[in-house]
Amino acid sequence: MKSTRPELSREFVAVHKRRRIIDAMAELSAEQGYEATKIADVVRRAGVARKTLYDNFDGKEEVFLAAFDSAIDELAAQIEAACEEAGGEWADRVAAGLRAFLTFVVEKPAAARMCLIEAVSAAPAASTRYDEAVQRFVELLRRNAPASKGLPDTIEETLVGGVAWILHQQIRRGEAARALDLMPELTDFVLSPYQGVAELKR
Amino acid sequence: MDRLPRGRHGLSPEFVARNQRERLIAGLTEALYEVGYKKTTVSLIGARASVSKSDFYKHFESKDECFFAAYEAAIERIRGEVLGACSRHEVGGWSARVRDGIAALLTLLAADPALASISLVEGLRAGRGIYDRYQAAVESFIPYLREGAPEAPDGGPVPEATDEAVVGGIASLLGRRVLAGEAERIDELLPDVLEFALTPYLGAVEARRIISAG
Repeated sequence: MKSTRPELSREFVAVHKRRRIIDAMAELSAEQGYEATKIADVVRRAGVARKTLYDNFDGKEEVFLAAFDSAIDELAAQIEAACEEAGGEWADRVAAGLRAFLTFVVEKPAAARMCLIEAVSAAPAASTRYDEAVQRFVELLRRNAPASKGLPDTIEETLVGGVAWILHQQIRRGEAARALDLMPELTDFVLSPYQGVAELKR
Repeated sequence: MDRLPRGRHGLSPEFVARNQRERLIAGLTEALYEVGYKKTTVSLIGARASVSKSDFYKHFESKDECFFAAYEAAIERIRGEVLGACSRHEVGGWSARVRDGIAALLTLLAADPALASISLVEGLRAGRGIYDRYQAAVESFIPYLREGAPEAPDGGPVPEATDEAVVGGIASLLGRRVLAGEAERIDELLPDVLEFALTPYLGAVEARRIISAG
């Protein structure tokens, strides 16, 4: 085939195609579920040849996992940046991280749906990856919250799990666009255990 | 679940059929825990249950159908156990009710890892739309937490999102431990889970008093 875009390097095109495949998987699994999504749908949506997909990925599950990883990396980076920008007060940092999470749900509803809902039940490998992602956010909260002496060791796990659950529900109700409405209640939910322990010590 | 005696035993056909069905459900639940959904074949379920393949198909059209029945049975068993423990308390004993419900849940899951696995991990991994049932099951506990709950320590009702996040957070923690292969030790999480569940309603001081009172 004669290239019509000679200015684009082969490498650039390859990366771009891979990106399109990943994005198509994220969109389709959010729209119709992972199980119903076929490779044929993905290549059609991405506008690539079937062979291109198989040159890049082993199959459907690997595309999904790549899409999942890419979305989680982006989400984690946004949360970390927000925490940094919020300054030195732990409560400001945690609230900023939470706001970044909710903002991601508003701005990237398909990616959020894929990460929070589809991944849990997509395939065994995906649910393991989901668990690793939860662990990543658990550690992020642990780093930014006050050292949780006097709180259960599992407190960050239940808090992250609780926030994820509330967002599941919000997305499933078709209200991802209004996720930021949850900010006051979720901030209270996440901060209050740490504040409660501070009161105990007084 | 033990198989029934062979030959003439005077048991009604309905009884035999129900017993077989229950054994198949138990067989699938165990197999799922041990080898995952893909490798849980009808032959394996039958072998576990001591039920022939042809008898399997008298009860279920497919492995999926047996799986759905097993998932429902698992949820019903958990719900029955938790609500049974809760209902031993009169109105007003909110904290004792929640404490006993959570204790019953963790005790049951630790005693039966296959049950913990199908309800919280392998059931979801099997896909097949079971996620909706999981979600409904988790949600169904929210009203029991909310009912008769005290106001927040600083006044005013505890927000609805907190009720939901508490239940969802507990389910998530338990699922993670089952996935890590630690179902047998899930009851060790009791103090943590209780503190997480009670503190939003009672404050840290009162929550700890109740937990240490046992």
